[in-house]
Amino acid sequence: MSILEVNNLSKSFGDLQVLKDISFSVDKGQVVSIIGPSGSGKSTLLRCVNQLETADGGEITVDGIKMLTTENGKAVYAPKKTLRDIRLRIGLVFQNFNLFPHKSVMQNIIEAPVHVLKKSKQEAVAYAEELLEKMGLTGKEKSYPCELSGGQQQRVSIARALALKPEILFFDEPTSALDPELTGEILKIIKELAKERMTMVIVTHEMEFARDVSNHVIFMDGGFIVEEGDPSKLFGDTQNERTKQFLSRYKGTN
Amino acid sequence: MKTDDMLNVAKILLEYLPNTLKLFFFTLLFSIPLGVLVTGLKRCRFKPISWLTNLYILVMRGTPLMLQIVAVYYAIPMIVKGAKDSVAANGGEIGGFIQFLDDCMHSESYMFVALIVAFSLNYAAYFAEIFRGGLEAIPVGQYEAASMLGMTKTQTFFRIIMPQVVKRVIPATANEVIVLVKDTSLATIIAYAEIMLKAKQMMNTYSSIMPLFIAGIFYFVLNAVVTAVFMLIEKHYNYYH
Repeated sequence: MSILEVNNLSKSFGDLQVLKDISFSVDKGQVVSIIGPSGSGKSTLLRCVNQLETADGGEITVDGIKMLTTENGKAVYAPKKTLRDIRLRIGLVFQNFNLFPHKSVMQNIIEAPVHVLKKSKQEAVAYAEELLEKMGLTGKEKSYPCELSGGQQQRVSIARALALKPEILFFDEPTSALDPELTGEILKIIKELAKERMTMVIVTHEMEFARDVSNHVIFMDGGFIVEEGDPSKLFGDTQNERTKQFLSRYKGTN
Repeated sequence: MKTDDMLNVAKILLEYLPNTLKLFFFTLLFSIPLGVLVTGLKRCRFKPISWLTNLYILVMRGTPLMLQIVAVYYAIPMIVKGAKDSVAANGGEIGGFIQFLDDCMHSESYMFVALIVAFSLNYAAYFAEIFRGGLEAIPVGQYEAASMLGMTKTQTFFRIIMPQVVKRVIPATANEVIVLVKDTSLATIIAYAEIMLKAKQMMNTYSSIMPLFIAGIFYFVLNAVVTAVFMLIEKHYNYYH
């Protein structure tokens, strides 16, 4: 069952078309990695799906709810209430965490459950404790983001996203702001989430990780999906010249 | 100047300190909320409102506060009187509102009201720019994170953005408040009985510049207190950066 469907999505910034006719779908429990060079449109794609950018055309359906349709060549978004409803079914982990600096770890995590989902504080705290344990952050409840390492901050932001129990979790280059050691921490967490059959879409530059963790890989370049498929196939023996060229650079370094 | 005289000067100045403080506190009371409002109006998407707000800020920051005090204190009553006279000349009834304004301007407290109006309008312009600076310094990622968590715009503003803006604007606000302490002395231009006016009078009485220095000590002490208060506030917000 597909939980996210994107059809013919397009997006321009002024004269620059950054997404051209993008179509893909994500099944429940699937882990999809989106790879590609900088400026290929990966992040913009993620941001369009997450309503942080407005698409120019195409269709997006999340969990069976139509978020974006195109009528007579014009992009039409669902009513505000529906968009908000969709938003609560998805979570996004940012490249630079975007934790709330004035709130403690616990406050960051329970903010949305308490004030958006209107859960009792007690219930929210109990679930947050559970998430923190999973993230290896027990004991950090009262710390403020500025007191944590980058890896710890990113783990808090994953917990914050998970606190809303999303159907899909998106990652926008979750390790790009981290050094290799801290990167490992985050990748480990994502692997654990994958084991629990969490549906995830990950924009990443970590090729080895993309190959290991995902069931499906999408390679983007110049606003197009150049190639997509099984990771072993795409990383193993791609027939596409552009994919080969892109991956060869990584093979050199790994 | 003899020590006795100096003590006498200090004693008299102390009597007028409440007037200085009244002007200071009432200005803060009105100019800070007004500054928040002006920040909002400046960011209004309806362009004419944003332009008018810019013009207001330009005029308030671009002309001397002393002139603004004079304008509010003398010019506005003249306009009101002009309106009243022209209505009377045309054989019309003096309307309730014009009469009310006219009465206000002849009341004893009008001088103080005029000062508060002039000071608040002026300081609101400065505060508005400080608040705008603080607001624009908040990374867009904070808004994005809040919206990804399903927070409404109101929740985002009051729970996420505003607390961070408050922390950021404290140093610049402290600066402005310290200037305000000294700017209260501009009220001498319309002979409001505050510290500086009395100091000037006593300079004449004693033919000495000493009263001015003693007044200086008063302002210095007041600002030492203001500085200490802001240090405490900064410390309170020091739990994160």
